[in-house]
Amino acid sequence: MAEAASLGTPKEEFLASVRQALGRAAVPPQPPYPALAEGLDVLESQTAAMRQRNAAQARELLHELAATAQLRGWQVYRAARADDAVEHVVAVAKSLGVRRAVRSDHDVFNALPVHAALQKLGLTVTPVVRDQQNSREALRQEIAQAELGMTGADYAVAETGSVVVLPCRGLSRLVSLVPPVHLAVVRPQNVVATLDDVLLLRRLEYYKHGGDMGSYLNFITGPSRTADIEQTLVVGVHGPREVHLVLLDYDTSSPLVGEA
Amino acid sequence: MAEIKTKDFQAASRRSIQDPQLRRALQRVGAGFDGARRENIAEVTPQVWEAWREQARRIKVHTLEHLDYYLELLDQRVTQAGGQMHYAKDAAQANAIVAQLARSRGVRIATKSKSMVSEELGLNHVLEEAGVEVYETDLGEYIIQLAGETPSHLVAPALHKTKEQVAQLLSQKLGVPLTDDIETMAAVARNALREKFLQSDLGISGANFLVAETGTLVIFTNEGNGRLCTSAPRMHIGITGMEKVIPSLQDLAVFMRLLPRSATGQRLTSYVTLVTGPRRADDEDGPEEFHLVIVDNGRSRLLADPELREALYCIRCGACLNICPVYQKVGGHAYGWVYPGPIGAVITPVLVGLGQAKDLPFASSLCGACREACPIKINLPRMLLHLRHKLAESPNADEKSSSPAETAAAHGYAGLMGRPKLLAAARGLGRLAQMPFVRDGKIPHIPLPPLSGWTKTKDLPALPPRSFRDIWDQELSRLPDKQD
Amino acid sequence: MAQRGQVTASLFATCMVDQLYPQVGVSVVRVLRRLGVTVQFPASQVCCGQPLYNAGFTKPARQLARHTLRSLAGSQYVVVPSGSCAAMLKVFYLDLFAHDPALLPPAQELASRVYEFSQFLTEVLGVDDVGASYTGKAAYHPSCHLLRELGVREGPRRLLGKVQGLESVELPQAESCCGFGGAFSVKFPHISGGMLDDKLANLQASGADTLVACDMGCLMHLGGAIDRRSLPVKIRHLAQVLDGEAK
Repeated sequence: MAEAASLGTPKEEFLASVRQALGRAAVPPQPPYPALAEGLDVLESQTAAMRQRNAAQARELLHELAATAQLRGWQVYRAARADDAVEHVVAVAKSLGVRRAVRSDHDVFNALPVHAALQKLGLTVTPVVRDQQNSREALRQEIAQAELGMTGADYAVAETGSVVVLPCRGLSRLVSLVPPVHLAVVRPQNVVATLDDVLLLRRLEYYKHGGDMGSYLNFITGPSRTADIEQTLVVGVHGPREVHLVLLDYDTSSPLVGEA
Repeated sequence: MAEIKTKDFQAASRRSIQDPQLRRALQRVGAGFDGARRENIAEVTPQVWEAWREQARRIKVHTLEHLDYYLELLDQRVTQAGGQMHYAKDAAQANAIVAQLARSRGVRIATKSKSMVSEELGLNHVLEEAGVEVYETDLGEYIIQLAGETPSHLVAPALHKTKEQVAQLLSQKLGVPLTDDIETMAAVARNALREKFLQSDLGISGANFLVAETGTLVIFTNEGNGRLCTSAPRMHIGITGMEKVIPSLQDLAVFMRLLPRSATGQRLTSYVTLVTGPRRADDEDGPEEFHLVIVDNGRSRLLADPELREALYCIRCGACLNICPVYQKVGGHAYGWVYPGPIGAVITPVLVGLGQAKDLPFASSLCGACREACPIKINLPRMLLHLRHKLAESPNADEKSSSPAETAAAHGYAGLMGRPKLLAAARGLGRLAQMPFVRDGKIPHIPLPPLSGWTKTKDLPALPPRSFRDIWDQELSRLPDKQD
Repeated sequence: MAQRGQVTASLFATCMVDQLYPQVGVSVVRVLRRLGVTVQFPASQVCCGQPLYNAGFTKPARQLARHTLRSLAGSQYVVVPSGSCAAMLKVFYLDLFAHDPALLPPAQELASRVYEFSQFLTEVLGVDDVGASYTGKAAYHPSCHLLRELGVREGPRRLLGKVQGLESVELPQAESCCGFGGAFSVKFPHISGGMLDDKLANLQASGADTLVACDMGCLMHLGGAIDRRSLPVKIRHLAQVLDGEAK
């Protein structure tokens, strides 16, 4: 790797010029901003309260998520049983004539045998996980050729109809982006009410895990789109033109929100 | 830095106004973006909207007041996440940083997600000189890059182009058949760029927000190009103005609610992407290096002026453009630099130098629609007034916007209007002077500038025989207050 | 809300009404008197300084503003038949004297007493119906400073709604600027003219025969073009419409 030095104006000099513009001589020791001074205990109690609030309205949140996601361009399917969910995924793949699919390694796929069902149908399904056979480059080629990308969801936000994916080991950034169709499987325990809920959970994780946010977090809300020519809407520019949200409606035994 | 043509506003705005295709394009702005924005406000209710605006403004006020603190925190957290910060005091330095990073890593192809700051810096040009092929990947940016133009709107850079013009351009530059189908045009761009994404060594993005607490860069996009630029190439450089920082991750929620609704009238963009450092050892994909370039380029002048500091609260949604009756007439290019509309009329003169852009702060009727539309409640008319004052009464000849004659006229006006008796005498003279021009109580033509400009298209009322003061003295003051 | 009969108001006529449209001032006085208000006209009043302030000439603007602070001192209320000039007194004087510890307090004190004409009727006197009548189809143009600096949106519409015989028609895109903007219309006549064209097109689409506003600046601008194009539309200050007594 090349040099890891700061180029341009040295930090201290730059900050001094900012300070001068602010008419101050020194950095304030700690600005009066409560959120940044909160300890882990505060975040934990806020999270507990949020979970309780959401659990009390679990059914409503699932309805809201389904309705809002639909409005934002997701094709929503609420599965009453695991078999239904698998059948639905197979039907989607069939109707689109998919031959190659890629999927993330979200553990929802351990509980839901879509992989096997699609293979039985004759599709090539590749989990995007590096191992001895599959280098980063090979996986990237596989993703580029796939007609369907399947992921789980780390969170789904009822307020906005968004699916949140946190890429890391086994969870490629590109599976939900490069294939023309994205299918996300959402479990009820991943559903939160608001954007604030997701951000609170990420802050908690951040401080719990010694200050690592993970490299990436995506809020995905509907298909890729543009209106850059004459403000006319076109879906499917650089990302998927079609997005499916499969909500595992039956699985309400576990509490909502990131308990998994 | 991008070419500055702000001195040409008078002539450029006259040309724009006569361009029928531009007029059609601009009509869509009000109906499209602004209409959708209003529907959103109605949907969430004006009370909730107002509470969001207040909250967002409080965050911005606080952050800018402690900008040095939050930049320091951001630096610490970006570094902790394995990223590298760089600071640029001006455009030349910012460009040099990116060019040096590109050169030292042997970058041959760079793909860019939309960034107004990079437009401000004129970055593409510098990278191309350094031997890097640069591809804009936002559809609107791609179109204007092919056309060799600059953006005409903060969020819809190719808004000034009709679909016929885009079709012509794609056909000329890429050799594809002419089409009138917008979906086909988008597919052409997608196919042309898909290959570049996979070959690209460097992804460049702007930032809508920088979260100090976690060292996170946040971008709002719809097409997916931003996600590709920050995921596919082996290096990612984020480049943005120093004012983009917000303290905590929790602050992001309110901006996620305000920005898309204010910009395109969407509840949320298709993607909101949070990038924190390069890919971790275990990650399946993502860039090996993450750099963040923080740019001043005149922003500390806005920061230092208490009357202008709030211009740095801007989140570049473009709502003030969409509602501005002046922007709706002249479009973005007439403003002569990267930032058009009311926010451009405020920040451009400060960023490029007051003397370069004397007309811009005056190019407003001060109707205040921009302030009403602004999600951060930025008082744009007040800042325009402040700049007018700085220009009109500047001690510096380069900056002074008023001629000695205008200054004398201003003081003469105060001298005359401040003396009721003198004014009455002048009124008598005015009544005599207007006599040859009065037709039926109106003045259809006066051969004397600046009134001659007015009477080109409008009649002017003639001075009637008596002023109100005369009528008061002669009649009204003698009548009893109560008529019954 | 003030008790009727105890109210005294100083009329700040504004240059435009004083010099060019005195009949508007007469209507203001007649309407106020009909409502039992004792009207005074401080003879020393001059221009509020807004044209200079908007052009960036704060020094001579302050000179006129100081004069205005003196000439309007002491009255119970100040009534201004212009949203724009009222905004100058009520809002912009506070900016003009923000760094003047001697004049900021009197400016604040004046600001608390200043009302634009329609605002005075609806907010101080609590009147919506002044017993007026007018025959015609009227469209209301909310002038920008009245709307956005003073926040007056509904009052003038309510007052017009109570006028006997008056049919209110909606002006499409009513809240868009007419393009006047004082010196703006002279410095950038092409832009101002484009905005004016839009406003007139909307006016014609409304089918109104009368255009009502609370600012003679906008109405001079619009009326000048209406006359030049011989459009069948009359311009009226709100006070003139409210002055039309039921016969």
